[in-house]
Amino acid sequence: MDLALTDDQVAILDAIDTLTRPYAGASLHEAGFSLPDAQLDRDLAEGGFLDIGFDPDLGAVSAALVVERLARLPQTVEAAASALIRPLLGDDLPRPLCLVEEGRTTRPVRFLREGATVLIVGPSSVSAFTATAAQVRAEPEALYGYPMATLLDVPTDRTPHAIPADEVLTRWRIALAAEAAGLLAAALDSTVAHVTDRQQFGRPLATFQALRHRLAEAQVRANGVRWLALKAAATLGPGDAALAALHAQESARATVYDFHQFFGAMGVTLEHPLHLWTYRLKALIGDLRGRGGQALAAAEALWG
Amino acid sequence: MDFAWTEQETAFRDRLRALLADTLPDDWERFSQHGPASPALTKYAESFCGTLAEQGLLIPHWPVELGGQGLDPWHQTILAEEMWIAGEPRGGQYMNVNWIGPTLIRYGSPDQQARYLPPIAEGKALWCQGFSEPGSGSDLASLRTRAERDGDTYRVNGQKIWTSYAGLADTCFLVCRTSDDRKRGISILLVPMDTPGITVRQIPSLIGEGDIHEVFFDDVTVPVTARLGDEGQAWEIIGYSLTNERLGIPRYALARAALDRAVAVLKEQGEFDGEAVKIEAAHAAALTEAARMASYAIVDRRAKGEAIGAESSSARFATVMAERRVCEFIVEYLPEALADAHPYLKMHHQRGIVAGIAAGAAEIQLNIIATDVLKLPREPR
Repeated sequence: MDLALTDDQVAILDAIDTLTRPYAGASLHEAGFSLPDAQLDRDLAEGGFLDIGFDPDLGAVSAALVVERLARLPQTVEAAASALIRPLLGDDLPRPLCLVEEGRTTRPVRFLREGATVLIVGPSSVSAFTATAAQVRAEPEALYGYPMATLLDVPTDRTPHAIPADEVLTRWRIALAAEAAGLLAAALDSTVAHVTDRQQFGRPLATFQALRHRLAEAQVRANGVRWLALKAAATLGPGDAALAALHAQESARATVYDFHQFFGAMGVTLEHPLHLWTYRLKALIGDLRGRGGQALAAAEALWG
Repeated sequence: MDFAWTEQETAFRDRLRALLADTLPDDWERFSQHGPASPALTKYAESFCGTLAEQGLLIPHWPVELGGQGLDPWHQTILAEEMWIAGEPRGGQYMNVNWIGPTLIRYGSPDQQARYLPPIAEGKALWCQGFSEPGSGSDLASLRTRAERDGDTYRVNGQKIWTSYAGLADTCFLVCRTSDDRKRGISILLVPMDTPGITVRQIPSLIGEGDIHEVFFDDVTVPVTARLGDEGQAWEIIGYSLTNERLGIPRYALARAALDRAVAVLKEQGEFDGEAVKIEAAHAAALTEAARMASYAIVDRRAKGEAIGAESSSARFATVMAERRVCEFIVEYLPEALADAHPYLKMHHQRGIVAGIAAGAAEIQLNIIATDVLKLPREPR
């Protein structure tokens, strides 16, 4: 085992940090509930960062590292599905790549818009179509921290993809866990900074043990989610992936309200980015039938 | 990043499993319920550790010149996992090989090394650690057991408590006060337990027979040559010991093994078919595997010769979460295990209660994470 980043992985993450640095100071006053950034999306795509999973030498672990790092930004781009699932489908599919579980197509979909590739993942088959304007209803008031839309119609003449649905589901879970790891890290960092600066009763909030221990537990969870996501990306095992996604969803549930609690009223404003990470986590909690869905998938993979 | 075991590591684990299968008695699972510190297991551990020593598996991580093979921390982790999963047939001797021996190697005088290392390496020693006192638990630096210098000897007076293995140990790694300076006034004495003036009283406990004790020191005379390192050096030495033991026992490994066993029993009984039981089992597994990976991240640092850092406290706390969730699963879905129906699960449950207490309270781990990982400003004292 060697759990340090490779030189290539360090270089990739450094390059992402360099590319995204100009975006760090973006104004949030006009951001609304989500902060998609088309220019950032173009920069990442042109830089090849979303295609890393196609390179067998870099593979899914490097792709997961990219997803995790990008999730720390206040801006959002469709990276997780593109980086981790597109390598199964081919690099000619238009982005964004939107994941929809068969039988649950009426739920709001992240990044869905006209021209997006919609991947319908069923229990035994995988198919895709390119969304038309008539098939999409944008949900600009959705609270989820992502641009969301509802699918109004799922065409029957979809393009079949001859890949096992299980493999797509496994990578979906890895993508979910990797993205959650970055979101948890960013929300935690942000909360740590706030409670360190904010003074009440003559001392920083961070000096009160009631907060310290809960933040420390959040660190334990965020750390665990990151490691389980990376391990699952390495093994591509359905059990590892389901455990990673389960731990991600459970950890999101366990921490999101604490982060907001520690921010007080500042945490409910749109001028602070906290909600961009926490409400994205809330969106991920509902993926693939939530914690129960991941737990049953894990139980099936581990114990049959 | 590479998450796979090497062929050598896999072969090492297989070898340990084969040895355990060949060596442990048929009634081992029932037997191991007595706890690692029980007289029965302590006696058995002498023969088991002798077998390990003969096969080069007792101290494989020690330096070659001291009888080891210089194997890296990954092998040490595999060894620790396999032994703990098996119910720790090394008894209290796991402590000798994990941190007492390495600490003596680093700080011991030539005479101390000559006296104490060979019995550890042969599997014939049993140590206890005199750390906690009635008034000093998590706040170890407040300890009051005093060693007064009198020429070439110290006169030791005081009391230790919660001391594991004290009833049968031959030597005590005793932390005591040699001056009033809070941390720099603490020293370590290596004290034979048959020294006059030492009284041991067992405390009945939930965690197995003979596990915790009170130890009283009444005018115990200890030669100055029994001091480990310099006067006042204990805090540094303990810090070094902790780098060898900070991860503690690989409880995540037994927790997962117990969970797998519990699921196997439930399946056999046709009771692993509902969604609720599967969901609970999966939650427990997620926690054991998160704890495992957090622990491996620390092992990886040790293997590379890096400081293990405060993140080891994060791994410790993750392990506490996992241990508890598995215990809760067993109580909820296999309550008969705590009666006596499944000795292996009962053994796990007995030991699990101290996951957040032994070797540093869970709250102390959270304090360390808050201050040294998250870099939060310290609490006022």
